[in-house]
Amino acid sequence: MGFVRRFLARPTTVVGLGVFLLIVAIALGAPLIFARGPFSIVGMPLLPPGAPGLLAGSDVLGRDMAVGLAYGARISLLVGITSTFGAVGIGVLFGAIAGYYGGVIDDLLMRVTEFFQIIPSFVLLMVLVAFLQPSLTSTVIGIALISWPQVARVVRGEFLSLRSREFVQAARVLGMRDMAIIFTQILPNALPPIVVVSSMMVGTAILTESALSFLGLGDPNLLSWGSMIGGSRSAMWVAWWTTVLPGLAVMITVLALNFIGDGLNDALNRRRRR
Amino acid sequence: MKLRYIAGRLVKTVMVVIAVVLLSFFLIRLAPGDAATVMAGQSGYADEAFMKSLRAEYGLDQPVPVQLWKYVRAVAQGDLGNSFVRRQPVLDVILERLPNTLLLDAFALLVAAAGGIWLGSLAARRPDSAGDASVTVLSMLFYAMPQFWLGMMAMLVFSVWLAWLPPFGIETMGADYTGLARIADIAVHMILPGMTLALYFLASYARLTRAAMIEVADQDFVKTARAKGLTERQVARRHILRNALIPLVTYAGLQASILVGGSVLVENVFSWPGVGTLAYEAVTGRDNPLLLGIFIVTAILVSLFNLITDIAYSIVDPRVELG
Amino acid sequence: MALVSIRDLTVSLPPGADRALAVEDVALEIGRKEIVCIVGESGSGKSVTAHAVLGLLPRGVRAERGSILFDGTDLLKETQDAMRRRRGCDIAMIFQDPMAALNPVMAIGRQISEQIRTHRTISEHEALEQAKGLLEEMGLRDVAGLLKAYPHQLSGGQRQRVMIAMALSLSPRLLIADEPTTALDVTTQAQILKLIKRLQEAREMSVLLITHDFGVVADMADRVAVMRHGRVLESGAANEVLSNPAHSYTRALIAAVPRGEGRLAPPSDMRPLVQVTGLTKRFRRGGLFSRSQATVAVDGISLTLSRGETLGVVGESGSGKSTLARCVIRLLDPEAGTITLDGADIAHMRESALRPLRRRIQMVFQDPFSSLNPRQTVGDILIAGPRAFGEDTKKARSQAADMLRLVGLNPQTIDRLPHEFSGGQRQRIGLARALMLKPEVLIADEPVSALDVTVQAQVLKLLDDVRRQMNLAMLFITHDMRVAAQICHRVMVMRHGKVVEEGPTHDIFNTPSSDYTKALLAAIPGHGLL
Repeated sequence: MGFVRRFLARPTTVVGLGVFLLIVAIALGAPLIFARGPFSIVGMPLLPPGAPGLLAGSDVLGRDMAVGLAYGARISLLVGITSTFGAVGIGVLFGAIAGYYGGVIDDLLMRVTEFFQIIPSFVLLMVLVAFLQPSLTSTVIGIALISWPQVARVVRGEFLSLRSREFVQAARVLGMRDMAIIFTQILPNALPPIVVVSSMMVGTAILTESALSFLGLGDPNLLSWGSMIGGSRSAMWVAWWTTVLPGLAVMITVLALNFIGDGLNDALNRRRRR
Repeated sequence: MKLRYIAGRLVKTVMVVIAVVLLSFFLIRLAPGDAATVMAGQSGYADEAFMKSLRAEYGLDQPVPVQLWKYVRAVAQGDLGNSFVRRQPVLDVILERLPNTLLLDAFALLVAAAGGIWLGSLAARRPDSAGDASVTVLSMLFYAMPQFWLGMMAMLVFSVWLAWLPPFGIETMGADYTGLARIADIAVHMILPGMTLALYFLASYARLTRAAMIEVADQDFVKTARAKGLTERQVARRHILRNALIPLVTYAGLQASILVGGSVLVENVFSWPGVGTLAYEAVTGRDNPLLLGIFIVTAILVSLFNLITDIAYSIVDPRVELG
Repeated sequence: MALVSIRDLTVSLPPGADRALAVEDVALEIGRKEIVCIVGESGSGKSVTAHAVLGLLPRGVRAERGSILFDGTDLLKETQDAMRRRRGCDIAMIFQDPMAALNPVMAIGRQISEQIRTHRTISEHEALEQAKGLLEEMGLRDVAGLLKAYPHQLSGGQRQRVMIAMALSLSPRLLIADEPTTALDVTTQAQILKLIKRLQEAREMSVLLITHDFGVVADMADRVAVMRHGRVLESGAANEVLSNPAHSYTRALIAAVPRGEGRLAPPSDMRPLVQVTGLTKRFRRGGLFSRSQATVAVDGISLTLSRGETLGVVGESGSGKSTLARCVIRLLDPEAGTITLDGADIAHMRESALRPLRRRIQMVFQDPFSSLNPRQTVGDILIAGPRAFGEDTKKARSQAADMLRLVGLNPQTIDRLPHEFSGGQRQRIGLARALMLKPEVLIADEPVSALDVTVQAQVLKLLDDVRRQMNLAMLFITHDMRVAAQICHRVMVMRHGKVVEEGPTHDIFNTPSSDYTKALLAAIPGHGLL
């Protein structure tokens, strides 16, 4: 298929996809491989990577870093994917309606998206999570709530420009109903930027989650990469791996997602040109 | 002519501020428990008498529109509640720390803008060269790493291993410098957190500048400029860059809100005594009035900054007319 | 000795382009005080040749061999810096779209003074004085105000005059004009071309004029070269080539220029099928938070359209002709007036009542590149109409295959995607789509404006044949009077939303009563000579 060929054209995309799939595999397999969970103490604290039985060393409390990294992957991916799902769902709905029907609804949506662009969303997120009590649910809801305006803006822009394209006007002239036009004419052509934005958004959501848990606003019962970094602050000076490794994990995951996003951009945009 | 535009933007800013206050009001009601519980937080000061006075203050026994009015009036007068952790009015606490944050953020924004535009224009001049590729690669790396982690890495390298720069705070403790020496001391302390903050946005600016310049370079009027016999440098400066600046000005406005978020994280890592570390204290201390107050103040400041960049935009792009 | 002598010019394109060479072995001479036209369709290489003279070829496009002698010196062998000093000074160039060709954020005066001060050491003040004189020479008024204005505040014609002023500010010996009038209204076009000719005579300079329109060649050129697929097919004195074209392609190009004085054969069925009275459409700008301004795009228009006839609506941009078309087919909702389709007034009908009537009135659009959904196959595009009315897919597909044959396309291509077809072929698909519902009325909104002239002729003939075969009533929107003359029985001239004049094509063309119509007719390129 042409799509697959274009998608895998860049070596970075292939590497990104491979790395991402590996991370997903680790996340899914963590409870099977490391049955005891990330909180159990396995030995002396602050042992360096390479110490017997400790691939990535141990942290401040003597917990296995490798196990923590594996379980952290579960949290990052879970939060990243579900919050993006939510944001895209809400964003596409509002953006499509505003872009297609225009008028007052569109004006209203533009004001809302501008508002969210202007205010400091991370601080708002902190307030939201703090007030709703920090948990996995409040994290996902919070991130979805501050991210949907971005999706809505992109979708609205696409619908607006597509709505005035001649082939959409032709569909109206042919007597097609509005819903049919939106689903068969506009949406397939609006999909590429939505897909690309979504893949980037998963990466951003993972970064945001790590920031929240670094500050102690993550789920107190779960271990995530951000909380690992936050917990290592006192030990950083003598045990660099407690800080460096979880951060590298975040960076590699987000990079992989960005590479995938670039590949998707290439693959999907070709068709739109003449 | 331009006045209509500026007036329109002013109205918009005011509406954003009103929306922020309304949003805060509803945020308080969002949390489980009544408003008084939320505002008392889990600070441990929740004895009966205190809760009673809080309830009266917020008018919790009265209908919602009355409560809203009380709240809006209070905020308009600068009363954002009291911080429990610090036993002071929230606004005072925030204003005390605000200059430090503004200093840090201004520095970061300037470095990011200047550095980013410079790098981006270099990359755009020679697309697909090794220099261009390295700018793109570096941008991607800085985009993908958590800012707070970058700060910690920087601290590790420059303060721990190389011991070139101080890791914490705004001034050397107990040194009591004055005048020029004090400024120099603060400047040295500002390098690590400032550069950490700046690097993410520098990457952003570089990518945006590069993309904008490449797009502008394709346009017909650039061809006209060359056909007039201008040197490449004149074309790049007067025609390409000048037009590429337009989207960059808008971007600066949007960046401010992201900058505040980044500031919270970076200040924390370096114990920079600004509003960001204050927010962290509010979180750990369950000091909800303080946290909410920080949101309101930063939101207002950022929307004012956006107003300024909008006005700058209208100066930079003469096509902006009647709003 | 000729001022410019191009020999064996060969320019290569970067890998991945649709051919290896943009131009091949091009030879051309431009004498002193001579206007030479290069004429060709899109992809002929005429623009590349013009850009090569000034060394303005884009990245990746390179002159491989040949020579361009300018007053004896080979420009291809000059250093970058030497070429730069010639640009704007010895040789100047103006481009097609003056809005895109002027820096949007720099004042007009500054753009002109910049040109002058690049090559002469004088003060800004002096340069602006010179700029003032130049703009007056171009026939512009309120010159002081113009100097301070920005491009978006000027009209298309004013902008092109500014470009010309800028180009001629240092009295170059050669002016290269790359399709300088294509983006302008027809009356403005005529003015600009006249201006160029006047300046050429007054300043005794040579002009290299790139165009796709043989009418322009007839009006302007002393000598002409015909290009196709990167090669010069024929060249010589303009009146010779026009009267005795040697190459068959040249003959085809000349023949394809639409012409005529209007058809005389009246349609058979005179009963009006469509009647429009007092149609008015206003556009309001502004949203929730800004004051609205209204422009009246269509102002009380009335017309009738009968089966078997083609009514042309002719006007320049902003005349309201496209808005009128869109109102008649209810893509836009008119504020006032009636649109009667065989008795039923559809002007303010609700969409649910309107839908069944939509079968009877269909539309062909202007832009072949955006009028077909890029993600649907031709088959799906064609059956969309019948399917929307509940018809069986299989039946619709076989109908679609027949329709493709009717419009001159291979029915085997039914499962291909739009991007695999050329512009002319896509317009045929658009026509087929419109005809699938067997309409009685066909509205054609500038259906050939985006096509090359030889393709234009074919599609126009197809439209006329189809109208005759299916006994359609056709409303034909165009800005080109020549096209209207070729295909329309009656013509309605519009301006600023109102009807200026209306009648049988032959009468309008031979005995126009309104001054505006006369101006439109006079502006037709080559109208005397072809």
